[in-house]
Amino acid sequence: MPRVVRTRVELEGRMTDELALVEGKDLPGWTGERTIVGTPTTRIDGAQRVTGRARYTQDITLPGMLHVRFVRSQHARARVVRVDDTRARELRGVRAVLHRSNLPKAPFRGEETIFREEARFVGEEVAAVCAESEETAAAAIRLVDVEYEVLPHVVDLEDAISEQAPRLDEKGNVSESGSHSRGDTERALRDADVVVDATYRTSTQLHNSLETHGAVAHWDGERLTVWESTQHVFGVREGLHLALGLPYSRIRVICEFMGGGFGSKGGAGKYTIAAALFARQLGAPVRCVYTREEENLAAGNRSATLQHIRVGWTGGRTGRISGLEHISYSNSGQGRWVADPTGPTNTLYKIADLSTKSYRVVTNAGSLSAFRAPGYVEGTFALESALDELAEQVRVDPLELRRRHATSIDPLMALRYTQKRLLDCYRIGAKEIGWSRRKRGGTPGSAEHRRRGMGMASQIWFGGGGPPAFATVHLNPDGTAVIRSGTQDIGTGTRTILAQICAEELGIGVTDVRVDIGDTDAPYGPISAGSLTLASVGPAVRQAAADAREQLLGAAAGVLEVGKRELRVEGGRIVGTSRQTTIEEIFDQLKNYTVIGRGSRFPNPSETALNTFGSHFVQLEVDVRTGEVFLEKIVAVHDIGRVVNPLTAASQVEGGIIQAIGFALTEQRVLDRATGRVLNADLEEYKVPTVRDVPPIVVRFVDVPDRRANNLGARGLGEPPIIPTAAAVANAIANATGARVRTTPMTPDRVMAAFAASRA
Amino acid sequence: MAVHVARDVDDATRAVAVDERAELIAGGTDLMVEINFGRRRPGALVAIDRVQELRGISRSGRVRVGAGVTYTQLLADDAGSAALREASRSVGSPQIRNAGTIGGNIATSSPAGDALPVLAALEATIVVRSVRGERRVPFAEWMTGPKRNGRARDEIIVAAEWESAGPKQTFMKVGTRNAMVIAVASLALVVDASRRRVGVALGSCGPTILRADRAQSFAAGVLDELGWERQAAPTETACAEFGALVASAARPIDDVRGTAAYRSHVLSVMAARALARVAVLG
Ligand SMILES: Cc1cc2nc3c(=O)[nH]c(=O)nc-3n(C[C@H](O)[C@H](O)[C@H](O)COP(=O)(O)OP(=O)(O)OC[C@H]3O[C@@H](n4cnc5c(N)ncnc54)[C@H](O)[C@@H]3O)c2cc1C
Repeated sequence: MPRVVRTRVELEGRMTDELALVEGKDLPGWTGERTIVGTPTTRIDGAQRVTGRARYTQDITLPGMLHVRFVRSQHARARVVRVDDTRARELRGVRAVLHRSNLPKAPFRGEETIFREEARFVGEEVAAVCAESEETAAAAIRLVDVEYEVLPHVVDLEDAISEQAPRLDEKGNVSESGSHSRGDTERALRDADVVVDATYRTSTQLHNSLETHGAVAHWDGERLTVWESTQHVFGVREGLHLALGLPYSRIRVICEFMGGGFGSKGGAGKYTIAAALFARQLGAPVRCVYTREEENLAAGNRSATLQHIRVGWTGGRTGRISGLEHISYSNSGQGRWVADPTGPTNTLYKIADLSTKSYRVVTNAGSLSAFRAPGYVEGTFALESALDELAEQVRVDPLELRRRHATSIDPLMALRYTQKRLLDCYRIGAKEIGWSRRKRGGTPGSAEHRRRGMGMASQIWFGGGGPPAFATVHLNPDGTAVIRSGTQDIGTGTRTILAQICAEELGIGVTDVRVDIGDTDAPYGPISAGSLTLASVGPAVRQAAADAREQLLGAAAGVLEVGKRELRVEGGRIVGTSRQTTIEEIFDQLKNYTVIGRGSRFPNPSETALNTFGSHFVQLEVDVRTGEVFLEKIVAVHDIGRVVNPLTAASQVEGGIIQAIGFALTEQRVLDRATGRVLNADLEEYKVPTVRDVPPIVVRFVDVPDRRANNLGARGLGEPPIIPTAAAVANAIANATGARVRTTPMTPDRVMAAFAASRA
Repeated sequence: MAVHVARDVDDATRAVAVDERAELIAGGTDLMVEINFGRRRPGALVAIDRVQELRGISRSGRVRVGAGVTYTQLLADDAGSAALREASRSVGSPQIRNAGTIGGNIATSSPAGDALPVLAALEATIVVRSVRGERRVPFAEWMTGPKRNGRARDEIIVAAEWESAGPKQTFMKVGTRNAMVIAVASLALVVDASRRRVGVALGSCGPTILRADRAQSFAAGVLDELGWERQAAPTETACAEFGALVASAARPIDDVRGTAAYRSHVLSVMAARALARVAVLG
């Protein structure tokens, strides 16, 4: 019987109290050795993906499909006075044009329609053209005449903070978005023996998912079916429901395969709404998929930040941190929230006197969107750099400084963690990188003009997951099983780990499990974000598999005329009695009986904090004359509870680190202040790391099941590995050269500027 | 769009002569980018990637590299220029090196084209042909601005030629990542010991490939003292002085890839290292 429980739900650090529906009793954690869970397992859909058989949203083509392209503002800020679509509609092959004056009401993210009266960044959608081919649509958008009243704009974070900037919001461009304070930070800093006072800057990073944002909408007169590259099929359904006013039962959203989202694909986009509106209006399937340029103008980004940190120290080499203040400003662009960089500062260390404040700054730039550990990447760069600067000044080993401030209690909520093994991460990582060889001031490099250094940094993240998440497991008469859940595999390997969990619990092989996910016609699955998919959906799948197994054993006991308790399923066979038999043989006797196991995710334990922890260690060389940085080795160690699949886990860590290398060394969106244009909205001038930029990466896990977390003992891993790398790189550069780079990306010219500053 | 696959150079020159909208395509690694970004819409294409005559390298006295020679080929077959090899290795990725040609680089004439500083330092001659006949253009007169040169629309680059300059040469490049990167600044240094000549050319540091004349004479003076044929290291001061002279020849700007100040600085560092390196080569 389903029942409702009250629970606290966390998504990317934001807590809400909600009701959750659960069924039956949660399973106890596994004990003893597992044979499938914990074993490196290649992706069950790997062959499909690498042979091109996997169908991504971009690959969907339907008979008679039409194509949408957007007219985008060329101004950073302008009022749309008039849109004249006459010339566009006259072009052969153009079927319809939508803009402010002819658009049906379509509430979207707090606005009345998807086209605003005031376009507020270069690239904002102003109108949409639907045509018989992509080329025609692309040609037609140039024929839509838009009259603009150009208004003063500001795009740069620091410009927007200044008094002279045009006001983009009645309440001003800067608004406080969060703060925390404990102890008496002012006094602690005043009384400190040493104070590091430093300003850090991080640049705007673009997600650059290989598959761009997009949707294909099909309206059959009754029901709307939408294929979308998304991290949340149910979220897209909700967005369509709100915008189009259709009941949920008449909307189906599908995402079978997905080419990355990194946080930016959390719900319906304007492209979804436009495709659906055209599909309904024209009675034809409609495709709207972003180009790379559109992706990098209008699909979100990681905010640029400006962060001030003051951190004090008292008591010489045996002393402690006394007081830490962290004030942060984030360029949210047109976004309405802040990815708060002060989260790690509030929770990572035992610091009695601490004060943090975070501000949102609006600018005429594209909105931020969640980007793999939003805020935590930016904040950890500042925090972990500052602590290293402090360690250097007070001549304490940076690792020792961190150990000295370890906390087993969440300092923000004063709650004990379900499990925290950060100290183990330090130990394993230090050994793996050879931390004992690190010397203050670095060591000689492989050439005369090169210096070598080591650096490390820690990370804290969430990833505990929680309800609601549901799954059913359908046992087929041939002994194979199908998992049905409305979750999705965004490229992380969700399909594979769910199959492992199901196979383990049911007693069948991984290859005997099919995973039917990415469809709102299945039981509800949460957003695949916040590193919560495994920890949310996995326990529900396990429960559904256990339920199916119990039903099967019940049936088998009847057929075999033995007590159910005597029976087990092992390797696809019913064992436990002298009459060994296969699942298939049991079903043969039962004709059309279908076993459907049901599972739901139970709430997390109350009054505990649930987080993931880890640390990265970097060894690198710096060319002290050109400022070039050469990464030599990165060691990553994480405590994520039980590791369900060491192979997919390692690939998450590698991917996170590669993305972090881009953030640390090469990636930055460049905006022209005068025009507000993005100067590198492509992959030519926006530099993501190539394979030659990636050093050997050593991945380690503490791998101890977190028995308090959930019935798997597992926590998430999507975000943790992107968090500490940039700070570890900065710390290694400082170790190698004595120069402190306080701005990302740490390009050669910035490294040179830091040399100059360190000599001065 | 019509695509004419040329059999030989004559076929190609005729094809571009008769169709005014026709453009040549070799590896397509520059042209397809332009087309995909909507910056260029050729009416027709003449593909020259299968023209054998353009794909040869010969080294009988003078070196002659066909315009259709790819970077991969330049890495596999020695064209007698260590600097050109180093430049070829730094181009794009394996895929780009397999397709991209030296002729395409010369035709595109980007100040960041990696083969170009080497051709400039080697004082190469560009050979072009059309239905009207053949022309030979010294590299120094080839580029007229960023992505601009004196090639007429119907002219096909057939080869680059230069006098073999010996082993003392190098190419250096700084970019913002380790592969698939357009140079923030690049430099080619050629010391032709037998002709007592130094060639220094800079990429990504001005509207065209620039020569550093004063640095060249200074280096020649250093080598007069050290002995041109010897493998002897110049003093650090001499290298630094050379670096400063090279940097002073640059006309860099601030752009998405880097600042003018960093470009000048890194040029002086690269030049000093280049001189120290080539002096001991033999
Ligand atoms: C991802 C990527 C990375 C790159 N990295 C680098 C790099 O690191 N360094 C670098 O220098 N370049 C780089 N490039 C640019 C490009 O690869 C080179 O400029 C290459 O040499 C172009 O040669 P192609 O044969 O592909 O030229 P194409 O694209 O075929 O042609 C380019 C232009 O030259 C003309 N053309 C070609 N051949 C001839 C001929 N024989 N006679 C007359 N005109 C001709 C064409 O009409 C066209 O206008 C890169 C390009 C890409 C896409």
